[in-house]
Amino acid sequence: MSEIRKAGATRRAVLKAGAAFAAMPLAGKAFAQPAKAPTKVLDFHTNADMAKVEQEGQLIFYCHENEAGTAAIMEGFGKDFPKIKTGYVRAQTGALYNKIVSERAAGRFDVDVIQLSDLAPAFDFQKKGGYEVYASPEAGGYAPEHLSDPAGAFFWTGVSFAGIAYSKAKVKPEEAPKTWTDLLDPRWRNAMSCKIPSSGIQFVQWYMFRKLYGPDYWKEFAKQRPRAFDSRVQLFDRLAKGDDKVCAIAEYAAYVLYKEKGAEVAFVAPADGLPATPLLVGMVSRAPHPEAAKLFVDWAMSARGQAFYQDNPNLVYGSLRKDAAPMRTGERLRDFKLLSPADYADYTASRDLFTKEWNAMLGL
Amino acid sequence: MGFARAQSILRARWSLPSAQTVVGGAVAAVAAVLVLYPIYFLFQAALNVGDPEAKPPTDYGFDNFAGLARYSEILLNTVGVSLAATVLALLFGFVTAWILSRTNVPGRHVLEQLMAIPYYVTPLLGAFAWSLLGAPESGFVNQVWRALGGDGYLIDIATPWGIAWVMALFEGSVAFVMIGAVMKSMDPALEEASQIIGAGRLRTMLRITLPLVAPGVLGAAIFVFAEMLGSFSAALVLGLPSRFYVVTTAMYQLVSQYPPRIPLAAAMGVSLFAVMFAMLFVYRRIVTRRSYVTITGKAFRPRVILRFVLLAVCILYIGLSVALPLLTLAYASVQKIAVAFPAAANWTLDNYRTATTMNAVRSALANSLVLGFATASIGVVLMGLLSWIIYRSRVPGSGIIEYIVMFPQAVPRLVFAFGMMWAWLIFPIPIYGTLWLLLIAYLTVFLPLGIRTISGVMLQVDRSLEESAQMCGAPWAYRIRTVTMPLLRPGLMAAWLLLFIASVRELGASILLMGPNAKVITPAIVESWFASSAELTAAMALIQTLVVALAMTLFVVLTRRATQLAHE
Amino acid sequence: MTERAAHIEVEDLTVRYGGATAVGGVSFSVQPGEQLTLLGPSGCGKTTTLRAIAGLERPTAGAIRIGGATVYSSAARIDVPAEKRGLSMVFQSYAIWPHMSVFDNVAYGLRVRRVPPREIDTKVRDALALVQMAGFEARPASQLSGGQQQRVALARACVFSPQVLLFDEPLSNLDAKLRGDMRIELRELQHRLGITSVYVTHDLEEALAMSDRIVVMRNGAIEQIGSPSDIYNLPRNAFVADFVGSANLIRGRLRADLAADGLTALETSGGQIVYGMAHGRPLGSAPTFSVRTVHLRLSPAPPAATRNVWPVRVRRCVFQGDFTQAHVTWGDRELIVRSAAMAPLADGQEAFLSVDPACCVVLEE
Repeated sequence: MSEIRKAGATRRAVLKAGAAFAAMPLAGKAFAQPAKAPTKVLDFHTNADMAKVEQEGQLIFYCHENEAGTAAIMEGFGKDFPKIKTGYVRAQTGALYNKIVSERAAGRFDVDVIQLSDLAPAFDFQKKGGYEVYASPEAGGYAPEHLSDPAGAFFWTGVSFAGIAYSKAKVKPEEAPKTWTDLLDPRWRNAMSCKIPSSGIQFVQWYMFRKLYGPDYWKEFAKQRPRAFDSRVQLFDRLAKGDDKVCAIAEYAAYVLYKEKGAEVAFVAPADGLPATPLLVGMVSRAPHPEAAKLFVDWAMSARGQAFYQDNPNLVYGSLRKDAAPMRTGERLRDFKLLSPADYADYTASRDLFTKEWNAMLGL
Repeated sequence: MGFARAQSILRARWSLPSAQTVVGGAVAAVAAVLVLYPIYFLFQAALNVGDPEAKPPTDYGFDNFAGLARYSEILLNTVGVSLAATVLALLFGFVTAWILSRTNVPGRHVLEQLMAIPYYVTPLLGAFAWSLLGAPESGFVNQVWRALGGDGYLIDIATPWGIAWVMALFEGSVAFVMIGAVMKSMDPALEEASQIIGAGRLRTMLRITLPLVAPGVLGAAIFVFAEMLGSFSAALVLGLPSRFYVVTTAMYQLVSQYPPRIPLAAAMGVSLFAVMFAMLFVYRRIVTRRSYVTITGKAFRPRVILRFVLLAVCILYIGLSVALPLLTLAYASVQKIAVAFPAAANWTLDNYRTATTMNAVRSALANSLVLGFATASIGVVLMGLLSWIIYRSRVPGSGIIEYIVMFPQAVPRLVFAFGMMWAWLIFPIPIYGTLWLLLIAYLTVFLPLGIRTISGVMLQVDRSLEESAQMCGAPWAYRIRTVTMPLLRPGLMAAWLLLFIASVRELGASILLMGPNAKVITPAIVESWFASSAELTAAMALIQTLVVALAMTLFVVLTRRATQLAHE
Repeated sequence: MTERAAHIEVEDLTVRYGGATAVGGVSFSVQPGEQLTLLGPSGCGKTTTLRAIAGLERPTAGAIRIGGATVYSSAARIDVPAEKRGLSMVFQSYAIWPHMSVFDNVAYGLRVRRVPPREIDTKVRDALALVQMAGFEARPASQLSGGQQQRVALARACVFSPQVLLFDEPLSNLDAKLRGDMRIELRELQHRLGITSVYVTHDLEEALAMSDRIVVMRNGAIEQIGSPSDIYNLPRNAFVADFVGSANLIRGRLRADLAADGLTALETSGGQIVYGMAHGRPLGSAPTFSVRTVHLRLSPAPPAATRNVWPVRVRRCVFQGDFTQAHVTWGDRELIVRSAAMAPLADGQEAFLSVDPACCVVLEE
C-alpha cells in the first residue's frame, strides 16, 4: 500500500481539504488574500491577475530535473501560455538550493518558482521565508499531507521512486539482484552506479536503508566502489550501453523512457520497498514576476498540469492529485510499495552526515 | 621673446596629463580591477576559517591549507596527469615540428595549416569523442575489438592515461607551434655540418638538433605543463564518473555540492595558482634569457628518404586529433543509442531535431555568438590599447601593468571564475547571473591571449613609424588612428578571431558563472553530457562546431575583402 | 622658407637610463640656418641628444630652447611634447608609412595642420619636385627603393616648413655610391632652404662634407666643437685627432730652449727633436703633438728642409688604392705614413721622414 506520510515534531492539526486558505504569516511575510474570486483559465482556476501576467510576460524557473525534463516542463507551460517567455536553471537539488540561497543572501531575487526533489531543503527554505505563501484554488485537489505545513508554501507535484535496474546484455536473469542486499554481492564491484550526494532521492535511499538495514549497509556498499552521476538519464544511458551492469538507484521514470527507446534494461522492485521522494513546487518570495509565478503554481497543481507531468516521457511523475489519472504505463503510485522518511526532523538533521559519508565514499 | 617666455611658463607643470596618460591610466585601471578584484576574493575565501556563510569573513587562518593534506591524492593526480600529458604533447609537438621544418615531407604548407586545427577542436570535443571511442564496455574501438575476436577491452579512456592522451592530442598543436618556432630559427648549417661529416639523419637529430633546441623545448615544456595543471574539460568528462579528480574538477565538485565546501575549494585553487605561477615565472626566465642560436631567415635545404612515412605520421596525428573525433561524434549523433555496429532501426535524426528545437540550445548558441562578438570587439580595443601602453608608451608603471595583465595566465579559468563569483556577487550593479558578467569574465581571462597576439604584431611595427608621425605634428590619438591602427590591422583581425573562438569555446569560467538568462553553449553541452544522452550531446557539439566554423569563414571572407578594398 | 630658421640652445643636457649616463651635461648652440653635425662612435650619445632635442626622449636634467622658446627645462618642469615643438626629423630607417601612397606620406604633416586641400596639393608637389621625386605621387610607398624612400622622407620633413630639421643618420642604410650623391644633394637642399639642421652621423666624411660646424662626442660628453677644418687641422685631444682622420701621437719632453720662429720643440724618448705649433694652447712639461699620417712625407733621398727630418727604416708598405700606407720605424717606435703619390718602398728600405712643423699640432691635455 502506498503510504506517504508526513510527520514532524511540530505538526499541526490536519487542515481540511479544500479549506487550505489559512493565511499563516511566515517569517513576517504576510500575504493579503485576493479580494476577487479565482479566474478560470483554460480548464483550471487561478488566483493570478491575468492582465498583470501578460504584462510581466516572463517566468524564471529553478528546477532539479535534467535538462530535457526541465525544458519539457517549460515547454508544456509555454504551450498553454505562449505569451510568457520562460527561462530556467537546472541543477541537482543540492546545487540548486545552494545557488538560490547564496543569491538571495547577496540580495538577488531573480527566481519565480522553484522545484526541488527533497523535503529537507524545502523545509529549510520555508523556514527562511523563501517561499511565498500563495493559496492556490487548485489546492483542493490534494490531501493536506501533500501540501506544505502551513499550506501555501509548496506542494507535492509528483513522486519519484527508484528500484534496481540492470543491463540485460551484461547480466543474466539468474544472476540479477532481487533485493537491496543483493547489491552488496562482490560481483557488482566496479560495475555499479548511483547518484551524487546533491540528489534528493539518493538522500532518501541512504536514510531509509540506514533505518532498514543499519548503517553497516552503506559501509559494505562503499566497498563496491560505485560510480556516481548527476541524472537518471545518464544512469540508464550507461546501463543501455553496458558501461555499468547494475544501477543501485534506478528511477522508474527513466526506466519507462529507456524501455520505450528500446534499451536492453530490466527493472526490479525489491519487496522491501522503493525509496521515494516528493517533487516539490513552490512560488518564491520576492519573485520578479509574481503573477506569472502564481499562474504556474496553479497550472502545475491542476489536473491539466498534472497530466502533463505524468505523461511527458522525460518526466513520468506519479501524481498525488486525488483525481489523477494513471501514469503513462497505466500504473498508479499506489501499485508500488514506497519508502519515505517518517520523522522529517531527523531526516533533515542527518543531511550533513549523508553528504560527508557519500562524498567520502566517492573520494572527495 | 616675451611671448615665447610666457608660453613656456604657461606650460609650466608637466603634471598636466596628456591624452595618452589619461586614456592609458583609465585602461590600466580597468585591467587592474578586472584581474585583481577576483584574486583578492579567492585569497579571502581560502584564508577564511570562520563561518563560510558570514560575509565578510570573521576569522582568518591557514587551516584550510592544512586540510588539503587529506586530499593529497587529488594533488598527486593533478601532477601525474599533467606530467604524462606534457610528455605526450611534447612528443607529438616535437616530432611533427621536426618533420615539418626539417624534412621535405610533401605538402608541407598544407600540413602546417592543418596542424593548427586541433587547437580549435577543443579538448572537450575530443573528450566526448574519445569517451565514445574508448569506454571499456560501450566504446566503439572496444566493440570493434570484441567483434574481431578480442577479449574484454583494448583501451579504457576513463583512466589517468586516457585523460592525458586526450589532453596531449589537443595541446600537442600548441607544443608544435612553440617548438616549430624554435626549429625554424635554428641555423640549418649546423645540422648540415653534422651530415657532411657522415652522421645519419637520426643521429643528427639526436646529437645536434635536440641539444640546440633543448632550451626552447624546455620552455615549451614548462608552458605546456602549466596549462595542463589548469586543464578542466578532459578531466571533467573522463575522470569525474570514475571518481578520478584533479584539482580543477575537485573544485568544481566542491562548489556545486550541497552544502558547498568553499574554503576547501578556495585553498585548492590557491595552491594550484601558486604552482602555476611558479612554473610560468620559471618559463619567462628561460624565454627571456635565450641561450640558443637564433639566426633569422636562412632558407634550408632538407632532404630525406621515407618522405611518405613521415607524411603518414603527420596525417595520423591530425587524424587522431581532428578527423576521428569529429567523425565519431557525427556517427554517434545519428543513432538512438550509439554503438559501433548499429542495427537499421538505430539510425535517427531525432537528436538533431531535439538539439535545434531545444530552447536551451538555441538561446545558448545565440548568447554565445553575441558574447563572442562582444568579447572580440571590445577585447581588441581594450587589449590593443593595453599593448600600446605596455610596449610603446612612456607611461610610467608599464612594467607593472604588463605583470597584471599576464596574471590570468597563471590562474586556471575555473579558479578565476571562482573568485569572480564572489567578487561580482556583492557588486552593487546587478550583473551577477547575466551575460555582462560573462563578458567581464572573458575579457579578463583572455587578456594574456589578446595582448600576446596584438603585441606580437605591434612589436613588428617599427617604433620610428609612429615617431615620424609625431615629428610631423600628429597628436597621440591622430597617430593611433592614421598610422598605428592601419598597420596593425592584420594583427587586430587575427586577435579578433582568436578572441571570438576562445569565448565561444570557453568552459571553465562559464560553467560557474552562468545564470538562467545567460546560458552559453559550451557549458550547456557539458550539462547535456551529464544530464542527457551522449547522442544528443554529440549532436549539440557538432552544431556548435559548425556554427563556429561558419562564423570564422564569414569573418575571414569579410576581412579579406576589406583588406583588398583598402589597397585599391 | 628662411624666415623660420631658429636658434637652438642646448644647456647642460643630461640623459640617464637607470644607472647609466647616456649624455652627461652637454651644452652647445646652433645658429640660425646652420648645419651642425653630432659626430662620434656608436654609444657616444649623439642620437640620444638629437632625440632629446626632438622630444622623443625625456632628459634627466638640463634645458633646451628652440627659437627662444623653452621646450624642455628640468628646473622649470617644462617638457613640450614632440608633436608641438615645430621640428621635423628624417629617420635612419626613413619610416615611410607603407600603407599610404607617396602623396599621403608627404601630405601627412600638412593634413595634421589642417591646411586646405588645394594648398596641400601644391606644397606636396613642390616638395617632391625639390627632392627629384616629381611624378611619384600616386605610387604606393611600399614599392619604393631605399634611395627613393630617403627622398620621400626628406620631402615629408620639409613640406610643412619646420623651424628645424633633424637628421638621424639618414644615409647609413644606403650603399656607398648613393651615399656620396645624396650627401651633396642634402647639403644643397639645406643651403637653399636655409633651415637650421642638426645632423647625426658616425661617418667622418659625411660630417666633414656637410657641416658648418661639428660637435665631436664620446661617452656622452663633447670632445670638441668647431668647423670641419678646425676639427681636422687643430684637434684638441688624442681622441679627436685619431677619430677625425688618422694621426700619429708624438709625446716628448718640452724643449723650451729650442723654441724659435713661433715653433715649439719637444724631445722624444728616442731622442728625436720635433718642431710643431702650439696654436695658443697651454704647454705642459711633456706635451703631445698630433701629426696627421697624410702630412708625413717619405722620400728615399733627404729633403731640403732642416727641421723635422729624420732617417727611418720602412717596416712595411701596403698599397690601399687611393693611398699607400707605410709603417716606418722611427727611433724606438713606429709611425704611420699615408701618401697618395708615393712609389711603394721595399720592406727594410731606408728612407727619410719629414713633416712641416705647421702640421704638428699641440694637443690640449
